[in-house]
Amino acid sequence: MLSPSHPVHLVLGLVVWSIWFVVLYGGLSVACAVAPPPVAMGPLTWVNAVLGAITLGVTVLLLYLARSCWRTVPVVEEEGNPSRFVTQVAAGVHLVAAAATLAVGLPLLVLPPCP
Amino acid sequence: MTEPRAPRAEALHQRFERVWSNLPGWGTLAAVNHTTVGLRFMATGAVFFLIGGILAMLVRTQLALPEQEIIGPQLYNQAFTMHGTVMMFLFAIPILEGLALYMIPKLIGARDLAFPRISSLGYYCYLFGGLIILSSLFLGVAPDSGWFMYTPLSGAEYTPGPGPDFWLLGITFVEISAMAAGIELTVSILRTRARGMSLRRMPLFCWYILAMALMIVFGFPPLILASILLELERAAGLPFFDVAGGGDPILWQHLFWLFGHPEVYIIFLPAAGIVSTLIPVFSQRPIVGYRWLVLAIIVTGFISFGLWVHHMFTVGIPHLAQAFFSVASMLVAVPTAIQVFAWLATLWLGRVVYSLPMLWILGFLVVFVCGGLTGVMLALVPFNWQVHDTHFVVAHLHYVLVGGMLFPLIAGFYYWLPQLSGRMPSHVLGRWGFWLTFIGFNATFLMMHLTGLLGMPRRVYTYEGGLGWDWLNLLSSVGGFIMAAGIAMIILDITLHFRFGRPAGRNPWNADTLEWAVDAPPTSYNFASLPKLPTRHPLWEQPDLPESIAAGEHGLSSIEHGRRETYGTDAVSGRLREIIHLPGNSWLPLLAALSLAVVCISLLVRAYPAALLGVVGALYFLLRWSWVNGVHPAMAPLVDDEPTDPPLHSRTCDGPGLWGMVITLMANGTLYLSLLFGWFYLWTAAPQWTVPEQRPLDLVPLLGAGVLLTVATWVFNRLVARLRAGESVDLGRGFWGVAMLGAGHVGLLVLVLWNGSLEPTERAHDAVLLVMLIYLLLHGGLCAILTGMQALRVRLGYVGPRLPYEPVVLRPLWIYTLGVFWTAFAAFILLPAAWGSA
Repeated sequence: MLSPSHPVHLVLGLVVWSIWFVVLYGGLSVACAVAPPPVAMGPLTWVNAVLGAITLGVTVLLLYLARSCWRTVPVVEEEGNPSRFVTQVAAGVHLVAAAATLAVGLPLLVLPPCP
Repeated sequence: MTEPRAPRAEALHQRFERVWSNLPGWGTLAAVNHTTVGLRFMATGAVFFLIGGILAMLVRTQLALPEQEIIGPQLYNQAFTMHGTVMMFLFAIPILEGLALYMIPKLIGARDLAFPRISSLGYYCYLFGGLIILSSLFLGVAPDSGWFMYTPLSGAEYTPGPGPDFWLLGITFVEISAMAAGIELTVSILRTRARGMSLRRMPLFCWYILAMALMIVFGFPPLILASILLELERAAGLPFFDVAGGGDPILWQHLFWLFGHPEVYIIFLPAAGIVSTLIPVFSQRPIVGYRWLVLAIIVTGFISFGLWVHHMFTVGIPHLAQAFFSVASMLVAVPTAIQVFAWLATLWLGRVVYSLPMLWILGFLVVFVCGGLTGVMLALVPFNWQVHDTHFVVAHLHYVLVGGMLFPLIAGFYYWLPQLSGRMPSHVLGRWGFWLTFIGFNATFLMMHLTGLLGMPRRVYTYEGGLGWDWLNLLSSVGGFIMAAGIAMIILDITLHFRFGRPAGRNPWNADTLEWAVDAPPTSYNFASLPKLPTRHPLWEQPDLPESIAAGEHGLSSIEHGRRETYGTDAVSGRLREIIHLPGNSWLPLLAALSLAVVCISLLVRAYPAALLGVVGALYFLLRWSWVNGVHPAMAPLVDDEPTDPPLHSRTCDGPGLWGMVITLMANGTLYLSLLFGWFYLWTAAPQWTVPEQRPLDLVPLLGAGVLLTVATWVFNRLVARLRAGESVDLGRGFWGVAMLGAGHVGLLVLVLWNGSLEPTERAHDAVLLVMLIYLLLHGGLCAILTGMQALRVRLGYVGPRLPYEPVVLRPLWIYTLGVFWTAFAAFILLPAAWGSA
């Protein structure tokens, strides 16, 4: 696994968020085109359940990554080595991505998938 | 103006000028220098801004009173379409690119950008593309379907004239320039910073431009693809957006807004970068929350890609999907708010100097925050439905774009003007310009919110009196003319400035960043010597830096070798890695852009043989461009006293060219993914999507083409690995062999196309397949040609164990081509077969 101070962590959390977002919107669209659940079921459908489970899984993953980065933040900044800066910002990026995942996924609890 | 140089510095300056200056007279058209190219971008953008402004005045004149017939519906439609098109594509983005191209090397302590010829090509594509689009206005055939060119209105059936063709071909041409700037800026910021300038020491403006550049790389390809598909539909009848042929007009909206919404942030982020640069200077203290701002920039760059559907809330998308985009649209306000609070905190803690640029910054804060708030309102689906396509939306977007971009741009312009001219701006005329613009803008657009809430739709050329819209429209029109008077005042100020402006002296605002260490007006090489910069505020911590730089007391102060050079550093730590040698003045960008202009105009008039000639010309000049590289006699030939610590970049395995290739492939990959998205979208959503009863392509030659490509890529990788290890046995023959395999791959693809039973004008299914095959053909052909050229370069001694650079740069293209081939095979052949639909 990449070190938490690797600069890829500056964007990794939001790349994960982006992929999740595509899966969420694409998955919903395909599910509604192929096998739309009855409208009468409201939000209690297999589509909401699957997308909700993916949302929770991605949120937990992002929180874990945020914690990993934060725990490895060096106490002092070394000359010529920006790892303190990178890990701090990366932890923030993962945390924001987790919050964004959860927030965008919340409507799964209240809205039916296809109408 | 900068004080006279000391004798030693003057002698050094003269030697540098001999290597770095532009050619005299017409030769200046061959200039590739970032200062020249950046200024050209900005000057051209300013002219387009004035043209767009005149069109806006036409619109406001027409709407000033009810039931007017001043310009009539046809010209009105052209005017608002061209106003939006000119302002978005020919003013906002290019002028900010120009500013970035001009500023970035000066801010990061470099002498030029990483790929100067690409900047020059970008400028000419922008200029020629812009002129082509604009010519439609004077020919009376301007596009009139709105700046978003929605299908089916922009299709051949409802708009048979050439207007949309001008838009589609011209904008695609201009977008070459945006892509060029995106790639150029990304690589330059990451790889040419001064020694010691690690990521955490990078000026905030560079973070903003890096985000903008990467957003261009990922944001523009969907529109480029959409434009190609729509032009193919209009010119050749391929029904991508035609329901009867299995297409879907909503696909256009998806592709357009996949570009269109990030574009708002592509425009806003550089402007916010100006704000983040100016506020610390005029508060005379470092910015508050540097890390928070970096976090906010990164978050904005990503989240802004998840909002595009909020432009499409009324097209019938499921409520749940709308809710996803609604929440994401509100979320993007959070990083924006972080920036606003950081700016306010900096102002609060500093001793604010209310100079002219600061006036524009304060205007920005007021207007942009209002625009942001109405943005959150529009993110709410029920409210969005109510005001969709009304003047409320027009008011909102002008608050965001004028407040979020034009105000900071003018602030930056006044701020950096002394750096360009060596003179201070006029505070009297400048303040008149600000207040007229500010008052005029708010009179126009604040009222327009109310006009929209009262139900006035946008894009109607007139309205009945007595609906409550009369006085609001009149006020908006009067405000528009007051704003125009403000802009006129600024133009007058600038006209007088270069003759009557008070001499500025060095660093007149007591700024902290390095661009103020450059002479004013700037020299062609920026810095006579390149300092180490282990700080975010070089001029506050080392005020004598300009003098020591000019005296040649830092790195790379020797110019006797005659090469244009700058440092190449590590993307993260800023550690020195190599010396990047840069190309000098070159006609190739202009010639390549002229050839592309021939292609564009020929396609417009449907003169296809001429278009083919243009393609051949462009290919020749671009290949010639790639030939004049590395140790070519016109670039950096091998010499006895080669620098070795650090080495020249073309003698290494990891120079900026490799980074440029990877970033280019990211953009290319986005275009490919957009095509895949189109395929899956039509498959699942198009109401009359049909598949042929028989598979339209022969599987055996297609598989054969894949096998040849796989073998070619594998052999090429082996050859590059051996080259990196210092082995060169049979290198030339190896490259010839790979080129032959690539040619075989292309031949088999042509066979597949030739023997196939595609009916691309009958079915969107076949049309998408055809585009995909052409995409694969182009990539296979390019790989084969470039590898053949490498074989020739091995024979001439341009490539070898000491010079492994170019094959290393080419390697990702082979891998990418292999990846897209097999992905296409899976998505277009295997998946439909498994699904039982083809």
